[in-house]
Amino acid sequence: MWRLGAIALSADDELFESMRLELRRGSLVLAVLACLRTERYGYTLRQALAADGLEMEESTLYPLLRRLEAQGLLLSEWREEEKRKKRFYVLSPLGLSLLDRLTTEWRAINGSLDRLL
Amino acid sequence: MAGKTEDIIDRYLEAVAAQLSPETRDDITAELRELILSRLDEKEEALGRAPTGAEVEAVLREIGHPLGVAARYRPGPDSLIGPELFPWWLYGVKAGLLVLGAIHVLSLVITLVSGPRDAGQAIAQAFHSFFGAGLTLIGVLTLAGAIMEHYRIRPRWMTEWRARDLPAFGLSDPLTWGVTAREAMKADDRTGQAWKTSPIRPVRVGGSSPAGEAVFSLLAIGLFVMWWLGLLAFPGLEAMTLGGEAATITAAPIWSALFVPILLYALGQMGVELFTLTNPDAVRLRAVLRIAVAVAGLWLTWTIFQAGHWFTLGADGETARVVGDRALLTIDRIRTLGDGPRDVAGIATTLSVVFTWVAAISAVSMVWSIFANAWRAVRP
Repeated sequence: MWRLGAIALSADDELFESMRLELRRGSLVLAVLACLRTERYGYTLRQALAADGLEMEESTLYPLLRRLEAQGLLLSEWREEEKRKKRFYVLSPLGLSLLDRLTTEWRAINGSLDRLL
Repeated sequence: MAGKTEDIIDRYLEAVAAQLSPETRDDITAELRELILSRLDEKEEALGRAPTGAEVEAVLREIGHPLGVAARYRPGPDSLIGPELFPWWLYGVKAGLLVLGAIHVLSLVITLVSGPRDAGQAIAQAFHSFFGAGLTLIGVLTLAGAIMEHYRIRPRWMTEWRARDLPAFGLSDPLTWGVTAREAMKADDRTGQAWKTSPIRPVRVGGSSPAGEAVFSLLAIGLFVMWWLGLLAFPGLEAMTLGGEAATITAAPIWSALFVPILLYALGQMGVELFTLTNPDAVRLRAVLRIAVAVAGLWLTWTIFQAGHWFTLGADGETARVVGDRALLTIDRIRTLGDGPRDVAGIATTLSVVFTWVAAISAVSMVWSIFANAWRAVRP
């Protein structure tokens, strides 16, 4: 009986985890864009996101940064800091305007969900 | 940093770099190196000492396997066959394997019924042939799917599908082969089960759906072409026995003389079926193409018929010819079919009658096809 209960709980947890990841996936781009109003390099960006409760794997974050840069939303520059070369990212003007529009959209969705929940 | 740690990082980054394009390789690995070093600095601070080799590897494992990490940077599709194409690929595999399986089972039954010298060998041969053909089919479909995925090819029959063509998809369910939706409904009514099964109805394969007929014909003619070219073997057609003796069927010279025309005829038919799938609305042009195919078929049938000698049947030192002859086209011949002696000559005569009638019926159906398609081509 205990064993069955444990299996059921684990399946529930697994389902919750997969839905939680799905829920977060769409908001991560917005979070990254918001964080890069200030210039940061990959490692400090990840730390800043984690400090605000948004843990993100490096294998997801770094390719995402390159994609956003290729889309013209970010600017990047290699610079030396603490005796090591680092690639710094910051929002481009296009990224800034897109962030504004996405923020409005996010607030509208959030408001709708708040009313529903 | 210790040399050993640097070695581990270099090895990791080399494995990532090998998966990346030369243009992006240096930039991406430089950024990854910086990430790894930052993570190790953090680790060193937490431990109060330099991390060991095992701890460095643990950090790299957290970042991800080189193949997975590199894949995230790769532009284009990240799967061989994506979610949009996958159902089409799966349908092709299921339907193709079922048709192949049906043909092999039929072929095996013929071999076993005709009294093989070694039934075990015949079954093994059938399995071998089925797995070979099945793997080839899956390989070809996967290659085609990967090319379509890579170049984002989406043919019109995928995007502009019509409800009346959907019965073709019943091909992947053998329980629905040859069953019409109306027949299935009637059967359900008789058993009083109609209300239970109403949401799911078996669908018909072929019938009045041009795309359904085209898919079925493509598969069938494709298998014939593979067999004609020697790429596919059906054991039942190769190993036969007659009255316990090994029997041989030797093709007459007409078949080798017509090898290329028959191949071209089959390929032409496949071309018309492909045209039907890709241009479902070109009704008149399709009718004209079908007339051309029927005319070619008539010419081939006539040439084969005129040759007279089709096969030579041999068993127990005796041989007899299977021939095409207008004199065999009588009702009496059909009525007395199988009444003759069971020796080589008798069986050859029976086969002659059967094949002559098959040729005649084929010719009539081709003439019908010419008239029916001529009407489709000109009607307002």
